[in-house]
Amino acid sequence: MKTLSKLLLALPLLAASVAQARDITLLNVSYDPTREFYREFNDAFAADWKAKTGDSVTIQASHGGSGKQARSVIDGLKADVVTLALSGDIDAIVQNARLLPPDWQSRLPNSSSPYTSTIVFLVRKGNPKGIRDWGDLTKPGISVITPNPKTSGGARWNYLAAWGWADRAFGGDRAKTIDYITRLFQNVPILDTGARGSTTTFVNRRVGDVFLSWENEAYLVLGNPGGDRFEIVVPSLSVLAEPPVALVDRNVDAKGTRAAAQAYLEFLYTEQGQKLAAKHHYRPSKPELVDAASLAKFPKLELLTIADFGGWAVAQKEHFGDGGIFDQIFQPAK
Amino acid sequence: MSVNRRTLAAAIAVALIPAFNPLAAAEVDDATLRALLDRLERLEQRLGAEPTATAPTQPDEVVADLQQRLAILERKIEIQAEEAAAKAPTTPAVSINDKGLAVKTPKGDFDLKFRGIVQFDQRLYFDDDRLSFNDTHGFRRIRPTIEGSLGSLIGYRLTPEFAGDSATVVDAYVDVRFDPAYTLRVGKVKGPVGLERLQSASAINFAERSYPTELAPNRDIGLQLQGELLGGRLNYTAGLYNGTADGRDAPTTDADNNFEWAGRVFAEPWRNEANALSGLGFGIAASIGDKEGAGNNFLPRYRTPGQNVFFNYRSTVIANGEHQRWSPQAYYYRNALGLLGEYIVSEQDVGLSNNAAANTTLKHDAWQLTASWVLTGEDASYRGVAKPNSPFGVGAEGWGALELVARYGELDVDDDAFPIYASADSAATRSSAWGIGLNWYLTSNLKFVVNHARARFSGGAAGGGDREDEKTITSRIQVAF
Repeated sequence: MKTLSKLLLALPLLAASVAQARDITLLNVSYDPTREFYREFNDAFAADWKAKTGDSVTIQASHGGSGKQARSVIDGLKADVVTLALSGDIDAIVQNARLLPPDWQSRLPNSSSPYTSTIVFLVRKGNPKGIRDWGDLTKPGISVITPNPKTSGGARWNYLAAWGWADRAFGGDRAKTIDYITRLFQNVPILDTGARGSTTTFVNRRVGDVFLSWENEAYLVLGNPGGDRFEIVVPSLSVLAEPPVALVDRNVDAKGTRAAAQAYLEFLYTEQGQKLAAKHHYRPSKPELVDAASLAKFPKLELLTIADFGGWAVAQKEHFGDGGIFDQIFQPAK
Repeated sequence: MSVNRRTLAAAIAVALIPAFNPLAAAEVDDATLRALLDRLERLEQRLGAEPTATAPTQPDEVVADLQQRLAILERKIEIQAEEAAAKAPTTPAVSINDKGLAVKTPKGDFDLKFRGIVQFDQRLYFDDDRLSFNDTHGFRRIRPTIEGSLGSLIGYRLTPEFAGDSATVVDAYVDVRFDPAYTLRVGKVKGPVGLERLQSASAINFAERSYPTELAPNRDIGLQLQGELLGGRLNYTAGLYNGTADGRDAPTTDADNNFEWAGRVFAEPWRNEANALSGLGFGIAASIGDKEGAGNNFLPRYRTPGQNVFFNYRSTVIANGEHQRWSPQAYYYRNALGLLGEYIVSEQDVGLSNNAAANTTLKHDAWQLTASWVLTGEDASYRGVAKPNSPFGVGAEGWGALELVARYGELDVDDDAFPIYASADSAATRSSAWGIGLNWYLTSNLKFVVNHARARFSGGAAGGGDREDEKTITSRIQVAF
């Protein structure tokens, strides 16, 4: 009888808990090369969230050039979280749409960058053009593939890495650095709007001799069928790309998804999230949570940071803003 | 910039033959290779590709270079297609045609249209021996219109008028479209009483509207609920306005602290059917409100088809109470035939500013019947001949559409208006007018109009005589889009 009583008492509680379980949908607006990583990460988070809360969470993902994605959010795309290529793109959302506070970057560890990456060269197997470092990219007959810095976050990192190398190679001579950047982009036959498009151009359409690529994207190519037709060249100097993530406060409050969206971002910093990042060739911001073997593939090289360029606000205005250096040195095809 | 993909594919196929067939390569002479390279370079130029910095000389390098350049072109075309597909959902559609300029979002929920009408008239008076009127040229209307939608809920229209001595606003309103059956229109609009008044200025049969329009309100300021019911077979308007004198626009602010109610119900019971009655529409309209004051904002001046005033109150007369109108009205359009008729009564309480005891109600009425026949086979309609079957064109065979029109109308001023409220020596108590005309629709945008109208009067001349007949020929060139 006692057992039966307990069961009868438990049934309403069970029913109540089932009744309270919710179906939640989150939209992660991300940049181009994160498709594979977030596909697996989303499944892991959904399982974790279900176990913790009983709620079912579905994560929808939108991918594209980081700058274009930011513009979409500014124009009304109801992102719960943004996981973009550079902080300047999230700052643009703050400035133009006020969807999240200006101090968004201080709300999560490592300046809200749960993983980092860098820029490397992907070349044809055997490196037939003998491309070793940034200086080789301006040689006659070298065809360089990079996305458009006006629309792609990865392309802006490419540009800054090249600029940083030239600035050092030419002893800070600004005119020579600009001349180098000019000649580099004269060797770029196609500007895709995003990194994934450039991957298609280089890998699938077989255009170009060298692809300035996110490190994670380059490893992804090597791991895919046909990857043995390529190899990675690590330049002498590159940049520390810190792709940031952020909660879009006004959207999550309007949709009632703040708790799940916050947990989604925090899950990136857990051991499981960091291991998944490393698995997909992103450098974990908490490497202590990842076994050494998984980190061994990441070469050690000197990395400039965005601070070396005065921060994103300065770099954006000087190099990529309307009338900036990129506009001056690159004339799009008519 | 769009490259013919078939041409490119052919160039690619021919150019790559040497890469896979050494024998064929041996057979390709220098001239052929040069021609292929020229074709490739032209394609590159059309796609904005940079010229090749270095020209390879070894055969295998030439082939590799060709392959690379063709791959670049292919990828550029691919990217163009991707970008076009991505932009398609957001790129507004722009159209410019006989209805003007229109910009519309792909969903169609936001749109902007630019339209306009310009009418240039020549008006000639004949046999005006006693009442001399000036023959004249002039712009009757210069009205650009901006209208459109802001989402499915909001519509708007703004029409200024530049034909007068100073620019004015003719229409300026916002629609809140809750439903086709219930739309709230706020702003400056045509009062909903006169049938011909509600007809577009570009579609009226004669250069000037007939007598009933002299008794109906023109543009008024207020708000009205309007809509279509029963699948469009019944439409209605009911509104609250500042109130206008007969035939006139309302002033920019209400001049007497009194509003005017107006409404109209109009039925086209068979409009959705294909029978002889499908073009029949009939209805009734009315307005009621108080008017208190003197001058043109309160009391009417009735005009002839030649736009001359034939009735005016004495300067001491004031509007002094209720003003009501009612108007049964109908039209019938079947094939080339058009008929439009309306009757209107306007009753106004009036008094004298110098005699508080002198108060009365004056009842004026007017009616008209207009018939039209399109000689060239197009359908007549309330909106005019929309599009000639064979538009006129220089060097083309078409001559456009021709329409014959005839009209008769009368306006009767209450006899009690004389002599206390109007002078029989200068104001006629009755006028009848007939007119005939020819409308030539050269295209859907260009219309020539020639009218002859004669108006006769009872009273209105010194010594109890009748005002001299008015004979006019009005010609018009109209451009509308």
